[in-house]
Amino acid sequence: MTEPRTVARGNGGDFERALPEQFADLEPFLDWAVEPEAARTARKVKASMGEVRAFYAAMMPRLGEVLDYLEQYFGDEMPAPARRLHLLSLSLVGVATLVEIYKQREVVAACDPLRFVPH
Amino acid sequence: MNTVMREKQWTKKYPDLATGPVPAEPCVSEEHFAAERDRIFRRTWINVGRVEDVPNRGDYFVREIAICGVSVLVVRGSDGIVRAFHNVCSHRGKTLVLDRNGSCPGTVRCHFHNWAYSDRGQLIHVPDEENFFDLDRRQHGLAPIVADVWEGFIFIHLGATPTQTLREYLGGVADQLDGCPFQEMKRRWTYSVEVRANWKLVQDGQNEAYHFPFQHRRILDGSFVTNNKGHNRYQNVNLHNYHSVWSCEYRPSQKLTPLRMVLAANARDTPRFHVSQMIGKMDHYVVFPNFVILLVQIGRSTTYVTYNLWPLAVDRTVWEIRMHFTEPTSLREQLRQEYFKCVSMDVLQEDTVAHENVHLGLASRAKSHRILQDDEIAIRFFAKTVEDFVGFYRHD
Repeated sequence: MTEPRTVARGNGGDFERALPEQFADLEPFLDWAVEPEAARTARKVKASMGEVRAFYAAMMPRLGEVLDYLEQYFGDEMPAPARRLHLLSLSLVGVATLVEIYKQREVVAACDPLRFVPH
Repeated sequence: MNTVMREKQWTKKYPDLATGPVPAEPCVSEEHFAAERDRIFRRTWINVGRVEDVPNRGDYFVREIAICGVSVLVVRGSDGIVRAFHNVCSHRGKTLVLDRNGSCPGTVRCHFHNWAYSDRGQLIHVPDEENFFDLDRRQHGLAPIVADVWEGFIFIHLGATPTQTLREYLGGVADQLDGCPFQEMKRRWTYSVEVRANWKLVQDGQNEAYHFPFQHRRILDGSFVTNNKGHNRYQNVNLHNYHSVWSCEYRPSQKLTPLRMVLAANARDTPRFHVSQMIGKMDHYVVFPNFVILLVQIGRSTTYVTYNLWPLAVDRTVWEIRMHFTEPTSLREQLRQEYFKCVSMDVLQEDTVAHENVHLGLASRAKSHRILQDDEIAIRFFAKTVEDFVGFYRHD
């Protein structure tokens, strides 16, 4: 399920970007911008290692900038594009150990993450 | 306090504990499991939640103590007091509240015939009351369960008359943790997983650090202080009555990854939140029988994790995990908490497989005993405490 890259805001071709302008290059990864946490875990579980690596490779070098940008909204309601960017950063944190530590798609010798039910 | 790398130091501290192999049968025996019902779970104080679960008057939650077949309704009354009741209607015994939690300002009603109870458990309304025989509503409130609160943790006791107060029961654990600011770590995530293993094997699997460099060699690589052979040693071990605590020390610097570097960027700006009641950098308390409090200092902040192990059958356990954090002061701090949570989940997923495989191994009766080393002393102590309560091997 991919979100539209641009969101119609009115008539006359006035479009709002799905992500804040300067992060438009992350739009191919919008299907990682999901909530709640169980949806991010499900996204991670169904991803191939290639998908995880591609997402990490695009997102990780931008993360410092992403967090600097989002910090302005900390503690407040985020506009939808910032909110999607925030969800991308949460998904990145969720998959980072696969790339940085395990170097494979699954945690080694572990149970299915979906068995842990969030309440 | 720095970790001392000596061997066999904890057995010297507690010379009364034996050092021989520990029987496996109590972890896989149906007969033992049946005995635990009355001899452990009806004789000890059982944690069922936190006061933050019922912040307002009329708030309630339900906990199933499956091994005893008891459904517990915990309610904060209109007088502010937290009480526990059997979740059973006085009329014909139907389960009263069907949802896991909620709010019942004023009254709790049974869906069956609309009998209504106050949030203090009194029976206040019976439809068609005139058609009953000598019904005295004052005699038919909800059946109370003994409950008490320590440092925000709500405990119940299923015995009719506990021989010890909650504070007496907690003993040395409470002496160490009285005043611990648990209430300031109220940002919380809860998970549960059904594990195909005996509840004591889940407890034991978490109750030592010997496995860290092996089972968790990737995810915890280099996180904890080890001796020159790469083995963990505790900073300290304390055994209290029925409960135990061991403490571990982190290495001063974590192994860096690109993500960890980005998350650490403004770490020095976050306010310091250190808990003076902590013994080491990570303190693992087993509150007998089925509760764990794990306090962890992460950088400038502190977090705590709790486990509740709910036995369903000799080989099935619901493992409930709650992670608690302070309110973050920046987005990066929030993401550091998220990362702690994700790494912990990786660790727990590895542990779950180990618990299940240990159960399979022991249930095959291939081995009658388990062999424990000095840094597994808390497991030995737990097995002894279980036997003290159950008396499986006692002939009297």
